[in-house]
Amino acid sequence: MSGLTLYETPLTAKTAAHLLRRATFGPTQADITAFTTLTATQAVQLLISNANYSPAVPVDLDSTKTTFQQTYLDKPFNGDRNFDFGHYLRYWWLGLMTSQTVQPTLLEKLTLFWQNHFVTTREVVDDFRFVNRYLLLLRNNALGNFKTLVIEISKDPAMLRYLNGNENEVGKPNENYARELQELFTVGAFDPAGNKNYIEDDVKAAARVLTGWKYTNYWTQGSTSFATTFTPTKHDTSPKVFSASYSNTTITTPTSPPVGKTTGDVELEALVTMLLSHSQTARFICRKLYRWYVNPIVTQAAEDNVIAPLATLFVTPTDTGAVSFDIKPIIVKLLTSQAFFDEANIGAMVKSPADLMVGSLRFFNQPVPDMNTDTAAFKNYFDFVFWRMRDMQMPLLDQPSVFGYEAFYQTGYSKIWMNTTTIALRSDFTDAFIWRWFTVKSGYKMGIDLVAWATSLQANFSDVPTTTNPGTPAITCVTVLNAFTLNLYCFDLFQSQKDFLIDTIMMQGIPRTSWEFEWNAYRTAPTNTNKKNAVTWRLQNLMKYMLRMAEYQLC
Amino acid sequence: MKRRDFLAAASASVLPVLVDGFGLKAMNRQSALVQSLLQTSAAYTDRVLVIVYLNGGNDGLNTVIPLDQYSAYSALRSNIAIPQNKVLALSGNDTTGLHPAMTGMRTMYDAGKLSIVHSVSYPSPDQSHYRSTDIWMTAVDATQYETSGWAGRYLENRFPGYPAGYPSANMEDPLAIQIGYLTSTALLGSQQSMGIALNDPQSFYNLVGSGDPTSPTDIPCCDAGDRITFIRKQQALSVGYATEIKRAADAGQNLATYPIATDKNYLADQLKIVARLIHGGLKTKIYFVSLGGFDTHSGQVNTSDTTLGGHATLLGNLSTAIATFQEDLRLQGTEDKVVGMTFSEFGRRANSNNSKGTDHGVAAPMFVFGTSVKPRTVGQNPNLSDLAGTGTNKDIKMQIDFRRVYTDVLSDWFGTAHATTDTLLYRNFPTVSLFSDMVESVASGSWHDINTWSVGRVPFLTEYVRVNAGHIVTAGQNVSVKRLRLEGQLKFTGPYSVRFS
Repeated sequence: MSGLTLYETPLTAKTAAHLLRRATFGPTQADITAFTTLTATQAVQLLISNANYSPAVPVDLDSTKTTFQQTYLDKPFNGDRNFDFGHYLRYWWLGLMTSQTVQPTLLEKLTLFWQNHFVTTREVVDDFRFVNRYLLLLRNNALGNFKTLVIEISKDPAMLRYLNGNENEVGKPNENYARELQELFTVGAFDPAGNKNYIEDDVKAAARVLTGWKYTNYWTQGSTSFATTFTPTKHDTSPKVFSASYSNTTITTPTSPPVGKTTGDVELEALVTMLLSHSQTARFICRKLYRWYVNPIVTQAAEDNVIAPLATLFVTPTDTGAVSFDIKPIIVKLLTSQAFFDEANIGAMVKSPADLMVGSLRFFNQPVPDMNTDTAAFKNYFDFVFWRMRDMQMPLLDQPSVFGYEAFYQTGYSKIWMNTTTIALRSDFTDAFIWRWFTVKSGYKMGIDLVAWATSLQANFSDVPTTTNPGTPAITCVTVLNAFTLNLYCFDLFQSQKDFLIDTIMMQGIPRTSWEFEWNAYRTAPTNTNKKNAVTWRLQNLMKYMLRMAEYQLC
Repeated sequence: MKRRDFLAAASASVLPVLVDGFGLKAMNRQSALVQSLLQTSAAYTDRVLVIVYLNGGNDGLNTVIPLDQYSAYSALRSNIAIPQNKVLALSGNDTTGLHPAMTGMRTMYDAGKLSIVHSVSYPSPDQSHYRSTDIWMTAVDATQYETSGWAGRYLENRFPGYPAGYPSANMEDPLAIQIGYLTSTALLGSQQSMGIALNDPQSFYNLVGSGDPTSPTDIPCCDAGDRITFIRKQQALSVGYATEIKRAADAGQNLATYPIATDKNYLADQLKIVARLIHGGLKTKIYFVSLGGFDTHSGQVNTSDTTLGGHATLLGNLSTAIATFQEDLRLQGTEDKVVGMTFSEFGRRANSNNSKGTDHGVAAPMFVFGTSVKPRTVGQNPNLSDLAGTGTNKDIKMQIDFRRVYTDVLSDWFGTAHATTDTLLYRNFPTVSLFSDMVESVASGSWHDINTWSVGRVPFLTEYVRVNAGHIVTAGQNVSVKRLRLEGQLKFTGPYSVRFS
């Protein structure tokens, strides 16, 4: 098992595609071409520098409303539209993930990592402004500093709402946030040997540190702002004593906090400092990043050679100017490591529904209608995406619980995405690329024009061989298959699989030369429906099967 | 097992393993002994278990309310306590009542179709949702880690080799079905889930269709190869089962009236599918359904009326769903072959918090339902003057280890050999007499000590009682039972006697 040593081999199409499948939701063919021959370091720097931190803001997508196409986050709170406006944030984010007109960036996938780490949901938070602020906090700090992120998320109105932090008061503790802060957000419940990282009393002590935080103007009709507040009278000012797990740390309330900070801020910072000083915290985060980017199954070798040194680097960065718990250096380190590019880790993950859907839309160049100018089509496009992702068990911004999506934490990990029902739903989705029944807007049917694709492979299309003209020979089944499989899977198919795809699926048992006859018949009479249908049917059979293959489900 | 079969099996020099009572797991599943043991379950082949998971940690103390300690109950949780006159009374049981929303389950209790198992938990309870759910689903000690689920281990033992060769002539139907899109840890076998996920039989068939030709079996190396093998098998299973499921769904009928869609009773929706598949003749052994929302840290009751609110809605849905399902089974004539059980990862704190909610706690009641469950109560009301913890952090102590309930389900409901059950649960747990009219002693001790008896309480005078061999039970007063069988000893510490009612 190779470790964190820099992967120096210039990227090939295969390794470039691997990086792009993992760091983004999947590449276009153009992305792969552009990244081939770069070094891993150059490629990851591009994925970072391509990030756009000021994208167009969300707009009202409902064409029946007078506010259609107008921004809404800068308007007073409107409870009547609360669901829609929260829901459109998802479409806005999906738009950023799916766009093929911007250069590939790792920002959205990393933001999803943090959103699935510091989970809150649209459904429970249920104030679209809170959800928006939370999502932007994660997106703007995705590559920033983890300590800052933990401090800010602890005071974030959406999080205060989601885990009842706003109800946590002196003498009447609500332990919900204090528990998840330790178990899920920082320390983790157990070390790799299965020992508890802290005890129940630490949950109770942390809850007392966190008393007194509130938010304002939740669901207040017409309100134009909202904020986090700290109420000293609701705060528990007695000393909070932690167990030996935290070196018996005691957190006390300062008599006079520094200018610009409340006593609550001072205590929160002390708490987060204590949590991040726990020897397992950096490991816990690095292990989760490893599962997200490299391989959901953590072997002992991965623990020792990748996660442990990455955790050391997280606490003590070596980059100039970097401080403890900066996120960017460890993301760069991991994505440029030999472990990341290890052959054994390529294709080791089942695609999440986001990888499958966004990845397919990007790979097959299904353009995203412009949110501001082609708004109805934009909504239509992501209605199709969002509800299918939900059925495949990945409702964006609506995780089933604070643990996040099950496939990222439960035994089985990414395999959990695949069962008898979700397999059927996945096939139904990829079949839509073949049958092209979904109309995004007039003149734009979602899916792949397979005949046009094959035509693009044919030199001198009209120069058909005849008895009098040697002409340009027809493209063969092999040519078609090679084009269709180019960068489609993580690895090359076996020859037996290629033969099967051609002979059994595409040709249905008749000789391969029959294809050339049929193709030439179509070249001769491209407007003849029967001739066109004959070749279309074969191409559809082939691509439909290829997208249903287990190989296509991996990334 | 017939004697002749047993001797044939034993002659394969595996007798010590059987006597030992353990180690079956280490044996080849195809061995003659294991095969013949499996056939002991022949009489139970059509029995079904329905597992109902209450996700989030149900507040047991507002579900099953200790009327005999009402003032202590009310003092612990004045802001969410159910008013005494609103608690649903139970027939023949004046110490315990149910939440007012649970009218359906109250009727089941009164009809002898519902058993309340009090204060269920496990030693060294964990209050993390994730870990505690895992402990319940994998059926291990709090210090033990296991990736397979208890029901999955049972199915793997019962149907060796799955999924290779399945669907098979002997078992053409899925071994387990989880209604929904995912399969839970409880159904995990040693390698993969023993169950399939199914959201709706008709759409399942339409989506899966009749399947494509099977591609060559070549696989790439390493983890990718493992994932591909797994996905291909799932694809094959979905196609293999789609037709049978559709047949059962078409043949089955719901005869009871379930809540309408606008009621949003998602548990009822799931159980409706289960009832239809059972009626349609599907041979599936285990169904897993779930209801979320029990993590009631905040606002579990309404501000103006504690009998209403989020928790009341959940319990109302639970009660209506289960009662309707039971009624459906009765009308179908399948009532005697189905039992169901509810579980939740933990109960909640005995004290409420200031948010009209409850934080994570320890023990809580389980419900077991069906015509075959015998004792209407196992254990007794939690003792609210003997709670763990202090101040506002008081927890209900465990009376019954959840694995005792699993033991009865595996041994007495599914007919698993006792030694096999012990292996599946990693050791022996005493029965709670869930499916028996007989209350047994599980240890030596006082007649009046609840720990002496399988049912976790002193036997009622209407019950058959057996003092098991090796146990000495001492009585310091007259005792009344229906019948008493002594295989061990009963000692009186004075001039007392047994009365038969």
